[in-house]
Amino acid sequence: MARNSYDTETPARTTPASTDTDVGHTEGQSGGDDARQGVVPKDNPCKIAVRDLCFNYGDFQALKNINVDIVDKEVTAFIGPSGCGKSTLLRCFNRIFELYPGHSASGTVEMDGMNLLDKSVDLNVLRAKIGMVFQKPTPFPMSIYDNIAFGVRLYEKLKRHEMDERVEWSLRKAALWDEVKDKLRGNGSALSGGQQQRLCIARAVAVKPEVLLLDEPASALDPVATLKIEELVHELREEYTIVIVTHNMQQAARVAGYTAFFHLGEVVEYADTDTLFTNPREKRTEDYITGRYG
Amino acid sequence: MTLYQKRKAINHFNMAMCVLTTIFGLFWLVWLLWTLVSHGIGYIDWQVFTEPTPAPGNDGGLSNAIVGSVIVTAVGTLIGAPIGIFAGTYLAEYGRGSRIAAVVRFFNDVLLSAPSIIIGLFVYEIVVVTMGHFSALAGGIALSLIMIPLNVRITENMMRLVSDQMREAAAALGIPRWKVITRIIYRAALSGIITGVILGIARIAGETAPLLFTALNNNFFSTNLLAPIANLPIMIFQFALSPYEDWHHLAWVGAFLITFAILALNVVVRFVLRPSK
Repeated sequence: MARNSYDTETPARTTPASTDTDVGHTEGQSGGDDARQGVVPKDNPCKIAVRDLCFNYGDFQALKNINVDIVDKEVTAFIGPSGCGKSTLLRCFNRIFELYPGHSASGTVEMDGMNLLDKSVDLNVLRAKIGMVFQKPTPFPMSIYDNIAFGVRLYEKLKRHEMDERVEWSLRKAALWDEVKDKLRGNGSALSGGQQQRLCIARAVAVKPEVLLLDEPASALDPVATLKIEELVHELREEYTIVIVTHNMQQAARVAGYTAFFHLGEVVEYADTDTLFTNPREKRTEDYITGRYG
Repeated sequence: MTLYQKRKAINHFNMAMCVLTTIFGLFWLVWLLWTLVSHGIGYIDWQVFTEPTPAPGNDGGLSNAIVGSVIVTAVGTLIGAPIGIFAGTYLAEYGRGSRIAAVVRFFNDVLLSAPSIIIGLFVYEIVVVTMGHFSALAGGIALSLIMIPLNVRITENMMRLVSDQMREAAAALGIPRWKVITRIIYRAALSGIITGVILGIARIAGETAPLLFTALNNNFFSTNLLAPIANLPIMIFQFALSPYEDWHHLAWVGAFLITFAILALNVVVRFVLRPSK
C-alpha cells in the first residue's frame, strides 16, 4: 500500500459526497468533538444504529462496545489493520456469524427501529433486506441466469418475462449485462474473477435489499476490475445504503462518504471521509492513514 | 562430490525406486488381467448371457448369476447409497463440531474396515434367521452395510470440499439451510458424490463373503427378492472348486465378466465424471 496515501489521493477524489449536500453538514460537524468521539454523524437519516455492541469468537473479544450510526443512502467505509474487527462488525449486520457455533454478539443493532440481534427476527427475511458480497467471488454452481433468479424465487413469484426483466435489470445494475447477455445459460463459474464478483453483486441487488454489505469486494481483483466495482458502488449509493470494508485506503477515499477507522476491536475515529483523511483527530488514525503502522 | 551432485544422485536413485515399485505393482495387475482374458474370453458366447448355469456335463451359461448379481447389487445400492449420502450430509453440515458427529464418524470408520464375513453373519442372524430362509433381499442388505460407510465417508469429504464461503454467500441471500444444501452444496459436490456411489457399486459387486450366508445361490433363473438368488462371486467360488472341466470354464468367464465390469465402472468414474467439474 502506498504511503502518504491521503496526500496523493484525496485531492484527486471525485466522490460525489464532496459535491452533494453532505458537505455542509460535515463541515459544520468537524469542529464538534461529540461527533468524532461518539461516532454518530448527526442530522443525516440513520439507517443502522449500532449501540454497545460486543462480539466474541469464543473467549476472544473481537469488538468492544461499538457505537456507530450508518447513514441512509450513503457509502460508509470501515478501514483498519487486519484483525481490527471491521469485517466482524459487518457480519453482525446480517448475523451471518451465527453459522458458526461459539460466535456471539451482545448489544443492539437497530435498523428501522428493529433490533436485528433479537432472536425473534426472522433471519431469512433480515438477509433479504441486507445483502452481502464477500471477498472471494462465490458464483453458485449453476447458470448465470439461475445465479440471480435463485434468490429472487425465494421471495417473489414472478412470471417468466418478469423474471427475465429482473435478471436483466440486476445485471445492468452490476454493469455486467453487456458482457453476459449472450451466455445467460452458461455456467457462472466460467466467468473471470471480476465478472464473477459483479455477478455476486447482481445477485445481491436482484432481491432488492435496502442495505448492501461489501466485505473487501475488490481485494481479489485486478485494478481494472477493481475500478469497475468502485464505479458500481458509486452508482448504487443513490438507492442503497452501502457499507464497505476495505484494506485499501485510497478505495475508501474514493467511494465512501463516511469512514470509520477500527483498531483492536474499537472504533478509533468515525467521521466524513474528507475530514478523517485530511484532518484526523486521533494520533492512531493519522499514523495508520499515513502508513506508519498497521 | 559436491553437494549439488550428491543431491542429483539421490534424486536419480529415488526416481528409479519409484519407477520400479510402480512397475512391480502394475506387473501383477496386468498379469491378473491377462490370466482372466486368456482363460475367460475363449468361452464367451451368447449362451453365457441367455442360459442359466448347467448341471455338470450339460450346456449352459451364466444368465441367472449375471442377473442375480445385478439384482443384489442394485438392492444394496438402493438401500446403501441414500443412507450413506444422508449420513454424510449430516456429518458435513449439521453435525459439524458436535460430539455425536465425532462418535458417528468413529464408528463409521470401524464399519469401513469390518471384515465382510462378519457383516454376512450379522445379516444372517437378523434377516435370514428371522425370515426362515436365504433371500436376495438379505444379500442386498448385507451389501448395503458394506456400501454405507464408504458413501458416508466420501459424501462427507466431498461436501467439505465446498468452501464455507459458498455457504456464507448462500445464507447471506436468505436461503434456508436445507435449500442451501440440496440446491447448492449438492450441486457443487455432485460429481464427487456420484463417484462415491459408483466406487461403492464396484466394491460390492465383487463381494463374496456377505452373500455366502444371505443370498446363498440358485441354480435356476430367479428374480424373486424373497428367494435365494444366483450371483457371480459365489458361482465362481463354487464352480472353480468343482471337479468338472466345463464348470471351470464358466468360472473363468464369470471372473472375466465381473472384473472387467468393475474396471469399466472405474474408468467411467475417471474419464466421464472428472472433466465436468
